[in-house]
Amino acid sequence: MTPVAVRATRRRRILAENLLAYAFLLPAMLILIVFHFAGGFAAVVMSLFKWDIVPGAFRGLDNYQTVLVGARAEEFWHSLSVTLTYTAITVPLEIVISLVLAYLLFQKMKGRGIYRTLYYLPYITSVIAAGVIFNWLMNPSYGLFNQVLELIGIGPQKWLDEPRGLLELISGGALAGWAAGPSLALVGVSLFTIWHFIGFQVVLFLAGLGNISSEYYEAARLDGANERQLFTKITLPLLSPTTFFVATIATIGALKAFNQIYVMTNGGPLETTKTLGYEIFHVFFQQGRIDLGAAMAVLLTILILLFTLFQFRVAERRVHYG
Amino acid sequence: MRLKLAIIAAVMVVATACSGAAAPPPAASTQADIDLTGPTALVLWHTQTGANAKALQDLIDKFNSTNGKQITVTLQYQGSYTQLYQKNLSAIQAGALPELAVAYESFVADYMKADVVLNLDPYVSSAKNGLTKESLADIYKPYLDTNRFPQFGNQLLSFPFTKSLFLSYNNEDILKEIGKTAPKTWDEFEATSAAAVKKGPDGKTTRYGWAITINASNFNGWVLSRGGSLMSADQKTVAWDQQPAIDAVTMMKRMIDNGSAYVPKGFDYQTDFGTAKAAFVQESSTGRPFFVSSFKQPINWSLTNIPQKDPAKAATVQYGANVAIFKSTPEKQLASWLFVKWFADAQQTAEWAVKSSYMPVRKTAADTDTLKNAWKTDTQGKQAFDQIGSSVPEPNVRGQQDIRTVIEDMLNAVVAGKVTDIPAAVKAAGVKANQILKDNQ
Amino acid sequence: MKHVALGGVAIVIAFPFYWMLTTAFKSFFEATTFPPTLFPQEFHFENFATAWGDAPWLGFFRNTFIIAGAVTIGELTTSILAAYAFARMNFKGKGVIFMLLLATYMIPSEATLIPNFVLVTKVMHIQDTLAVQIIPFLASVFSIFLLRQHFLSIPNELADAAKVDGAGHLRFLRSVVLPLSVPVLVTVTLITALGVYDAFQWPLLVTNTDAVRPVQIGMAQFRTEFGAQYHLEMAAATFVIAPVVVIFLFAQRYLIQGVARTGIRG
Repeated sequence: MTPVAVRATRRRRILAENLLAYAFLLPAMLILIVFHFAGGFAAVVMSLFKWDIVPGAFRGLDNYQTVLVGARAEEFWHSLSVTLTYTAITVPLEIVISLVLAYLLFQKMKGRGIYRTLYYLPYITSVIAAGVIFNWLMNPSYGLFNQVLELIGIGPQKWLDEPRGLLELISGGALAGWAAGPSLALVGVSLFTIWHFIGFQVVLFLAGLGNISSEYYEAARLDGANERQLFTKITLPLLSPTTFFVATIATIGALKAFNQIYVMTNGGPLETTKTLGYEIFHVFFQQGRIDLGAAMAVLLTILILLFTLFQFRVAERRVHYG
Repeated sequence: MRLKLAIIAAVMVVATACSGAAAPPPAASTQADIDLTGPTALVLWHTQTGANAKALQDLIDKFNSTNGKQITVTLQYQGSYTQLYQKNLSAIQAGALPELAVAYESFVADYMKADVVLNLDPYVSSAKNGLTKESLADIYKPYLDTNRFPQFGNQLLSFPFTKSLFLSYNNEDILKEIGKTAPKTWDEFEATSAAAVKKGPDGKTTRYGWAITINASNFNGWVLSRGGSLMSADQKTVAWDQQPAIDAVTMMKRMIDNGSAYVPKGFDYQTDFGTAKAAFVQESSTGRPFFVSSFKQPINWSLTNIPQKDPAKAATVQYGANVAIFKSTPEKQLASWLFVKWFADAQQTAEWAVKSSYMPVRKTAADTDTLKNAWKTDTQGKQAFDQIGSSVPEPNVRGQQDIRTVIEDMLNAVVAGKVTDIPAAVKAAGVKANQILKDNQ
Repeated sequence: MKHVALGGVAIVIAFPFYWMLTTAFKSFFEATTFPPTLFPQEFHFENFATAWGDAPWLGFFRNTFIIAGAVTIGELTTSILAAYAFARMNFKGKGVIFMLLLATYMIPSEATLIPNFVLVTKVMHIQDTLAVQIIPFLASVFSIFLLRQHFLSIPNELADAAKVDGAGHLRFLRSVVLPLSVPVLVTVTLITALGVYDAFQWPLLVTNTDAVRPVQIGMAQFRTEFGAQYHLEMAAATFVIAPVVVIFLFAQRYLIQGVARTGIRG
């Protein structure tokens, strides 16, 4: 074959591969573009107009000004700080706990199936039903949590109705303001979140562990590696695509947090659990301020985008693909 | 390239979707006198669940089979009130509203932004399909007043549907035990509550005077009962940020601090009242059956007006929702009105009152056998009925839902001990509320 | 030692369910005594009948199963194809399209509810159907992302060997990639089905009649405006959760088998 013919064949092959790839992508992209991308684009459009129940005049970036520095700035920055606090509490705890649990569960041992089932239970419980259960557990008058506290000599708490900070309560009111820490209500919602999602992340980690070939372990064992070395030298690096994935998904999920709040507290008490996700819903659907809700949603999307880009930059360099 | 095409396609989809949004048909002038020819199908969005939903369905079935004009109403449950609002807001964007929907006054004010709510005045006054003067006068004035919107030319934009009022549930057994009667004034109330407190051997309180329910409507009731008013005459600023509110909140705080009152969670006040953990609860008259179902042993109890500053000029707050008709075709609008009118007739409102525990909207409902029989066992229902005249509507301005949050945040901050200066906190809440009103002009 | 740790966590995790189940059997009065009873004094089986009779649950369950089945099959198909393209094929704009995909995942869904509602109501005219609860969910960024991560970790030598054998992408996908990915496929199936089972906001917005509504609306319907019946709520929560637990117990077996199989073959 002449070099020209070779190049032509290669071009054809590349073209064929391109077309096939697009064909593979088409069904998913069609749905995602119509229902997610277009929806997001519409949100951008809505954020540029006066849209108070009904669409009005074009306002450029005025809505963003209102949200960032104007009349809505206080509630926007407040809910942003609630969101970041909530993310900082839940994500690291979820990842560490679920990674350890998954690693233990992956070992061959008696009763493994039972443990797995028990750990998955919270996640397969619908958020609404689980929220009902937790509201009941944290009931100030009749709940189990207060009963347990009483057994260890701590007075009854109001849990999801308690706007005071965790450290404020522990210190007997000595710590206030910023030092008071997240409200007990936010801690309650975080406990619920961790409980609910642990199983989900354990599932992901287990699938990731299942993808690590046992040959690696066998080879390492032959070289005399101990359990701890197996974990740090084989499991952790080879599991890194999963860990990275879990971290990304958990962070995005926490930054968008809405359902948990909707079911548990509706943003109260004293708005100490009002995440940005809930605030957006509130502005959209309870105040009818579609313009401001859309502007907040765009800002939240940008924030999540920045977070994720950061994670990709920092983490993907260290992620080890097989 | 594909991507670009896709984006353009998406833009077009969105553009088409948005361009047609919120374009209701022009207002019909006077179409209240037309004749209905042929069948008319109506949809009513509501929030009732359980036994109430069944009772409502029974009444609808009765209307469908007896109206003689081939009108068929279909009930559609749409979640809680806030979820119903969410659906209506979305439906306004898509032009997909039902013919009728249950609504709070502030919802109606919001929907009017899109000019989709039907003015009922021409229908009420229609010689052919309207209400007679006597019939109109028979409906409690506060129940009609709340549906007139000063900000929209005083039009009647909705009609009473599920009404109730804010009253005091009193445990008469406890009152008898401590030798008191149901308090008529706030001073008496405070003293009686303190007297009702009981402590166990370990010093823990086993019985309180008052189980406080934190709620903006209840706060409004406290203000009204102390001679205050809720809105200024021009409806541009709130009027509850004055001495009556300061007195009410100060008393609430004082009673929590001295141990004669506490704040239970959610609906636990019912259980606590039923187990004699509290002598008084101030709540909606509609909660009656739920209170009763939480009585482990039968309790002697009464339902009276909340304590007053001046019992001779008693006032409390009116609770509950209304039904609004959305603009559609003249036929559907008229058919919707005929249903609303029918539902407010003495017999229907009495039946609805008995089954749902809401208040009947007419005075003459008291003459129906339905209510007379029901009151033989539901004596508290009669006690509540006798107080309807003292109930005052809440503001029906845009932004009222947000103002409610401002009030509730203020109260919760006081309860949590985060407020040192109550007058300042009340004033600050008033300033916030006025800003909301200004933003919603 | 391991069992102590795992067992301790398991008790903490499972206790809310125990609490739900026991409360579901208690009388109203027993459910609201403090201190609470750890075990019901008497069993009130009628709580379940009362809760079941409160809403058309049977129809809700049927709808949920239809929707969950359709979404799971559809989403799995579209996601496998897309993830494979991202993980194992070279094409123009791969990076950009993938980032675009991730970006759509970051948009809070509260913001897209109204545009999507307008789209399905005014343009597609499919409001108040089962289809409107299925179609928007036939693709998922989450699933694509998850599958891509796993497809990426399949050793390149296998792909090279397949190429030498003259196998095209479809055959490589079918005969090598998919069998190697059973655990993650089971995982995606599980998560997708659960996501549908859990859906609430969208169904509430786009459905009007009980005939097409899913089970979560029934659960929400259960809370009344003026009173809370904890024991009945727990009974309802119990039977809402029950089918998923049963299905999961079956899937769980395959999950373990899948893990074992890939362990040997990988």
